[in-house]
Amino acid sequence: MSVWLKPSISQEIMNNKEIFEETQSIIADLMAGHLEITNLVENMAEVLTNVEAENREKGMKFFTKILKELPYDYLNETQVKFITRFYIDRLKDNHRVIPAVLEGYLTIIEMKHYDMALTSEFFTMLFREVTCQSQVRQDRYNIYNIILKLLKKDSQCLKTLGPDFLYGFISAMEGERDPRNLLFLFTFLPTFLKHISLGHLVEEMFEVISCYYPIDFHPSPDDPAPVTRQDLANALCPCLCAVPEFGEQCMVLLIEKLDSSLRMAKLDSLALLRESCKIFSAETYGPFLKTLWSSIHREISHKTDEELKMAAHESLSALVSKLATTAGTDQAFENFVKGVLISMQTAVAESSTVAQFVKAAKVLLTTANASKESCIIITKSMIPAIVAYYEFNPSAKLQIASIDFLGDLHDMANHWEVLNEIQAQTIEIPRLCLTAVSNPSKEYQIAGFKSLIRTKNLLQEDLVLPFIEVLIHNIQHSQDENLLSVSVATVHTIARKYPEMVMDLVVRGKCDLDNLTEDKAALEKRLNLLSNLASIDDFTKVIISEMLKMVTTYNENAPKVIEALSESMSDASLYTGQKLTEIESDHGLIDSIMSWILKELHTSSDEALSHGYKLISNTMRSLPIDKQQKILSNYTDIVEKCKKNEVYFNVLKSLYSPLNQSIYNENFEEIMILSVELALKSNEEKIRCQACVLIAHFINKVEYGQKFELLYEILKNHLSNYDSNEETMICQRLIVLYGWLTKALIMRGSDVFAFWLKKIMSALTTVEYCSLGAEAIRLIMEDHTGSSNTMFYTRTTLLFKQRMYENFASLTSNMGPMSEDVKEAYLVSWAYVLQNTSKVILNRDVAKIMPLLIESLEYDNKELLSVMSSVLCYYVQQKQLAVADSLQTLLPRLVKLTQYTKSMDVRIKGLQCLYEIANTYRTVLLLPHKQDVLLDLAPSLDDKKRLVRSAAVKARTRCLFRSASSVANSDFEKSVGPMRKLRRIGKICI
Amino acid sequence: MTKVADNVNPHIYEKGSEREITSTDLDEDVVDEIDEREVFDLIRNINDPEHPLSLEELRVIEESNIRVDNKENTVYVNFTPTIPHCSMATLIGLSIRVQLLRALPSRFKVTVRVTEGTHASEHAVNKQLADKERVAAALENNNLVQIINQCVATQ
Repeated sequence: MSVWLKPSISQEIMNNKEIFEETQSIIADLMAGHLEITNLVENMAEVLTNVEAENREKGMKFFTKILKELPYDYLNETQVKFITRFYIDRLKDNHRVIPAVLEGYLTIIEMKHYDMALTSEFFTMLFREVTCQSQVRQDRYNIYNIILKLLKKDSQCLKTLGPDFLYGFISAMEGERDPRNLLFLFTFLPTFLKHISLGHLVEEMFEVISCYYPIDFHPSPDDPAPVTRQDLANALCPCLCAVPEFGEQCMVLLIEKLDSSLRMAKLDSLALLRESCKIFSAETYGPFLKTLWSSIHREISHKTDEELKMAAHESLSALVSKLATTAGTDQAFENFVKGVLISMQTAVAESSTVAQFVKAAKVLLTTANASKESCIIITKSMIPAIVAYYEFNPSAKLQIASIDFLGDLHDMANHWEVLNEIQAQTIEIPRLCLTAVSNPSKEYQIAGFKSLIRTKNLLQEDLVLPFIEVLIHNIQHSQDENLLSVSVATVHTIARKYPEMVMDLVVRGKCDLDNLTEDKAALEKRLNLLSNLASIDDFTKVIISEMLKMVTTYNENAPKVIEALSESMSDASLYTGQKLTEIESDHGLIDSIMSWILKELHTSSDEALSHGYKLISNTMRSLPIDKQQKILSNYTDIVEKCKKNEVYFNVLKSLYSPLNQSIYNENFEEIMILSVELALKSNEEKIRCQACVLIAHFINKVEYGQKFELLYEILKNHLSNYDSNEETMICQRLIVLYGWLTKALIMRGSDVFAFWLKKIMSALTTVEYCSLGAEAIRLIMEDHTGSSNTMFYTRTTLLFKQRMYENFASLTSNMGPMSEDVKEAYLVSWAYVLQNTSKVILNRDVAKIMPLLIESLEYDNKELLSVMSSVLCYYVQQKQLAVADSLQTLLPRLVKLTQYTKSMDVRIKGLQCLYEIANTYRTVLLLPHKQDVLLDLAPSLDDKKRLVRSAAVKARTRCLFRSASSVANSDFEKSVGPMRKLRRIGKICI
Repeated sequence: MTKVADNVNPHIYEKGSEREITSTDLDEDVVDEIDEREVFDLIRNINDPEHPLSLEELRVIEESNIRVDNKENTVYVNFTPTIPHCSMATLIGLSIRVQLLRALPSRFKVTVRVTEGTHASEHAVNKQLADKERVAAALENNNLVQIINQCVATQ
């Protein structure tokens, strides 16, 4: 018979520690009904009532352990009641017993049948008998946890406990010093305060909480999971403004701490102010507004501390939007905003540099952004003020800044939809823009036009003509790219608002296409403008038909027209796919261009033709499937022509590469064979490349299943003819083609790519083809967006680059030792793969990549060095320890890079790496190398290239600072500044 | 301890733009000589010891007050204290000297002087800055080096 079925258990608990291990068996017996809990208690009577406190402690511990392990619904109501009473009674016992009692009580309240009615009794006893702050950390935590649990279980019950309970709680937590406990308390206090009304104890409660404010705490450096100061501060903030009753006290505290000289205190106070706006009523702030603004103003105009400035902005914004809720009823809001307005107006007026102006302007924008009401007040008075400011201020930079500011104000008013209310003020903006753009300086014009674009709705009819005059002059004569594009955008904006006027003035007037041809110099620019304007519905018909007329009549300027059209139409923000489709069906864009191309094919320059191809493929891409098919059927003869003369291949490619995935016709197989032949046998490099791209398109897009199998088989069979080919030239071209094939296949997620990749890998091991193999790897990894090889409508599986990386890595690991001749190409291909793989993977495989990196830095290959040093830079920024471990090997190699004569890019990258290393790793690791590196870097200061020199200065000064900065870097130093420090160390004579 | 700065409210000037990178800068074969602008760029961001402003913003240094001679390997920098009795003039001068010492190739002989007629004890300051021994000794004073580093550290 087990010992716990007999009274001798008491002796057992007192004398034998092992009994604590057997609680599980007791639980089992209890569950099985071999033992009643009451019997167990009776049996334990001796130990629970022993005269020795030590033994009672053991008894309570043992019983608590049993309670903890029991299922929470095992005990019935009477049993729980009995045990609860017993535990409450035990609170009177010796201090040694208390921890077990508290722990047990925590378990009891979790039980299903816990009687809330006993809570009051418990707390009375607890607060009377136990002094919370003289317990150890864990027990204090248990007390708080009991309160939290009870609050969660039944907040109604706690409410009825009244002020005595509250007082007990306040005195229990008063003086708590452990950061973990505090964090726990702060986290649950807001909920507590929301449920329990404080009555006359508001002040006491606030005082207990506020004594921690602002948090000043530094976690011990040995703590494995420290509570940080910021954690505590973030948790405390909502406590201080948990209930509206705290309002006045909180404000007094906050204002006091805002004026503190400690930076942390200011930041916390600003955060508190921001947070408090969510809880307190607007009236709370009334009496304090003046002081608050002066404090916020001081922080906002802080010269260097960006974080503080941002916090001040955020608080201001929160405060204004809170106050705005009383806008109609209370004068306080308006007074406050006006106060902000007046002091900032002064600041704007007094500013002598753009930085000062922008600072003041930002405050005004923050205020305006906070609420609709403040926006009206600010914009109403600031817009006329700035207009006047512009007139009176002679500084060019400030004038430009003020124009930008007007645009910002307008946007703000637009955001709050109050433009109607400030109509009288805003009307002046376009006129001011006109004044600005009348200035010949480019900066003025750009600022003026940009603001005009933003305030486009305000533009009145009478101003259109002067604006257009300036704009057209710019467009025809300006050489500056920036100004040109802004001007074109402005005309576009005006045209949307006043289509008739622009039509008369620009399209039929200044830039009429008929007299266009005479003015050669401005021709291109005019065409750009017109092709841009053509994207607006009202202009499409007139302009496009005019332009196409020039193309179809084979006008000598047709190439320019095509270039302009192709430039504008490839801008998706101007021409949507739908718009292009419309143009195509209304005007026959492709037909016109095609007829021109076919005529000029043998005579025109490659560049002119390439614009035509681009235009065709771009338009094709936007067409719906049926339209695409129709156009293909119109030009079936191109395939035949192409067989006879390869120059037609470009046309063919521009038609077939932008096709939608679902299109497939009988020509495809023929074209495929043709492309393969051209890719391998054409003498023109361009044609070969285009052929490869087209093959890649076909293979990538063709539907899964039968069609793919068929096309792929044809290709594979055809290529197998060349398997035994020994001709160097063909082999070289084959490798390039393999590259494209692998890319197409891996992108669509097909597994067969491995076959071709292996071929490339075997090329990598041969001396004659290794560099081509590396080139093929580059092809696979590179993105081709923007180039003429852009792939449209391709099937792209997610993470195909990762897949490539994995495959490449596993294939290389099987390759065995490399001969020196092919090693370089091998590393170069690694470089291409690494360059385009996601950074996450790089971080994961740092152990595998580091050796490659170190080895690569030995080779004299520009691209390899450049890529590898970038990867290394990335690792350093990520604080990879692997880099720190091999500093001794790396540093001499990096220093050698800084002397690399063939490429400045490599030199700069090497210096950047050194800078990052000096910046990132601990001084201890760097000090041994410091002196050497400093000496080695000296020659770079006299590099022939300026960019290298500046990188060298950056790296070298960083290295120099590392030894010095380790001593003085505390927050204190930062806030005090060098000046105060100077005085602290006394008078210095140099 | 509560002594206020010598010049409490200095006039602040506009900051110039960054040097634009031209196509010749990117051309491998062209040799870029060190010019006035480059030297100016090296020292424009030095912080004033009294204010959180750069020497450029206070117009203590200006590009026109710098002379570089690549053949003779000399660099002359004149700086203008904001007020004639500025007690920080020596420290500013020393910061400029140290920065140039660290950032310019060693072939240059660097001379840093107060612009004529802008400081009460111009000669004394110039003498101190020209004295190699004193500069070297100053750089061995750890406290002083820290202050200079803080001035030189770009923001």
